[in-house]
Amino acid sequence: MQNNSLYLIIKRMRTPMYVLVVTFAVSILGMVMIPGVDDQGNPYHLTFFDAFYFVSYMATTIGFGESPYNFTYPQKLWVSFCIYLTVIGWFYAIGSIITLVQDKVLAAQIALAQFQRKIRKLEEPFIIFVGYNSMTRQIIDRLAHDGIRSVVIEKNEEKIKELTLEDYAIEVPALAGDIRDPKVFKTAGIHKHNCQAVVSLFNNDVMNLHVALSAKLMNKHVKVIVEATQDDYAQNLKTIGADEVENPFKIVAKRVYLSLTSPSLLMIEQWLYGDSLVLRKKDRLPRDGKYIVCGYGRMGTALEVGLRRAGIDYIFIEASPEKAAKARRGEKVMVGDADDKKILLKADVQEAACIIAATKDDLLNLSIIMAAKRINPDIYTIARENRIADTVVFKAAKIDRVIMIETLMINKTYNVLARPLADRFIRLMAYRGESWGKKVVELMKSHINNNPDTLETVIDENHAFALVRHINETGEEIPYSILYRRRDDWRQENQLLILYIRRDGEEIMLPDPSLPIRIGDEVLFAGTREAFEDVEYIMENIYELHYVMQGKECEISLASKLTLDF
Amino acid sequence: MNLEKVISGFFIILALTLNFGFFYGDPTVLEQHNRYELFAAIIVNLIATIYKLGDKTQLGAVLLATSLVADIQLIGAASIWALGEYVTGMNLETVTAIISFSGGALLANIISVILFTGDVLKSKR
Repeated sequence: MQNNSLYLIIKRMRTPMYVLVVTFAVSILGMVMIPGVDDQGNPYHLTFFDAFYFVSYMATTIGFGESPYNFTYPQKLWVSFCIYLTVIGWFYAIGSIITLVQDKVLAAQIALAQFQRKIRKLEEPFIIFVGYNSMTRQIIDRLAHDGIRSVVIEKNEEKIKELTLEDYAIEVPALAGDIRDPKVFKTAGIHKHNCQAVVSLFNNDVMNLHVALSAKLMNKHVKVIVEATQDDYAQNLKTIGADEVENPFKIVAKRVYLSLTSPSLLMIEQWLYGDSLVLRKKDRLPRDGKYIVCGYGRMGTALEVGLRRAGIDYIFIEASPEKAAKARRGEKVMVGDADDKKILLKADVQEAACIIAATKDDLLNLSIIMAAKRINPDIYTIARENRIADTVVFKAAKIDRVIMIETLMINKTYNVLARPLADRFIRLMAYRGESWGKKVVELMKSHINNNPDTLETVIDENHAFALVRHINETGEEIPYSILYRRRDDWRQENQLLILYIRRDGEEIMLPDPSLPIRIGDEVLFAGTREAFEDVEYIMENIYELHYVMQGKECEISLASKLTLDF
Repeated sequence: MNLEKVISGFFIILALTLNFGFFYGDPTVLEQHNRYELFAAIIVNLIATIYKLGDKTQLGAVLLATSLVADIQLIGAASIWALGEYVTGMNLETVTAIISFSGGALLANIISVILFTGDVLKSKR
């Protein structure tokens, strides 16, 4: 009896069962012992079967009438006593069952048992999300579209109800539980070999640290992805072995830096995060002139690094004197309300090139932008949007660039989970510089189009059956250029580009097509969907592979090939 | 003294003794077996079964199993009796079937009592 809910039901139903057995026994015994009279006037006793039959339908209030003969008065006297006895017993039992059904403890136990069953049956790789909010909701949704399964742990039961109403492409099991209880992680299946990652995107760094710590202690092979917006927490997380520490503000700062120094790299990065591969005029930040950054909090300090590195003249406006006091010596931080016209004028807003509203209050950010625009209509405006719900207002405000922290986190986490090669590519790319970025963009535009897709694959039995077989059987070196060929005409090239290959720790950016294919390579492609289809066919199907390699169809048909094999 | 042990011991042993009382006698002569005793044995067995429900230990599970076996055997005996009396008519075959069914229940009840006493002896106090 490992099942707690069944145990609970049995335990609760014991008393009603006693009552039922005893009342039935007393009634049946009485009915058997009291003498009756049959239709001929002879005395008789009900048999046990007669009595059991009569009591059964009497107690359940079905009442077929007196049987087998009409009762005498002593019998009727006993029956009237039994009616109250058994009916009360029966109703008590039914009442207990109904209370049990409504019982919260039992409901929780049943939900837990169902969750455990789902986790047990989960064969595919899955990801555990701690906390269910607008960010994780979208990540789960996008992962579900890619066929990646998720499991949610959430403290608030209302949110779990919300989750069950959501229409995901695959089922998302959810567990109501506090993450501070180590049992909860275990129930969610962290020890399972197919648990790939634990994701924790709380606003609260302490909470994230807690999650990362317990997750790593329970299963050190699991990938831990957490958000950390403060440097000391990020340090702590790295020491305990968190695989991916995400700081949205660092990403923002990096993007600002990139758009100032190497816009092509920014373009590639944004494209890998899901945008199209074009640089709008709006994306170009003004290089000359002063930047005013409102808010010297987590985002402000991150921006400070980016702007300083890009060699931009900047000034901060911060409302809280304590935060302003944290600034390093030599940093220009003014104390005051940033949406105040006087303060803005003092910061030379009429001369400034760009204003960044980076406080954690969406309304304040909007009013800063409005105030700055009234004084200087030509100023380039950047605003931080904290909540996705505010998108409509931000759109209406005609801001040059809106930085959505939540969307950034969603895209970043999704990339880390579902597109690890793209994520790695972004990281490596940063050291390459603008000229390299320009080359990549031109290559992509000339080879493919303005909005290529990406494909990540591994050269192994599961993804490239034909290729692996061919390499194993012949030992021949096949260059990557084979994969560029078209299935309908091998002399023509597909709209395809290999961006990145990872093999045994070696990392190759923009490999030459003559590079030989090695088993175990992880490859990141850019190209059109049709091209990806061709690539997948060529890798999987021996006939397609044969065709693109030899330029002619296989001489041996499928049927004879099969018979030859036997 | 543990009142719980008294009650559970009482019902488990009473189930055995009543069962034995019904079983004892010539298996071919129904008159030597009291129908009231069979009824009492069924009721006491049912109560003993409910008593054993909800015990999460290994021993509790085995005790419950023996009790369920005894229940099924005794109810089977009563059903055969009712069937013989109203449908097929009493003959030697029916009578021996009733008694041998209760004999099977007796065996289950004996195992149950042995397990129960074994558990009592095993505990230090």
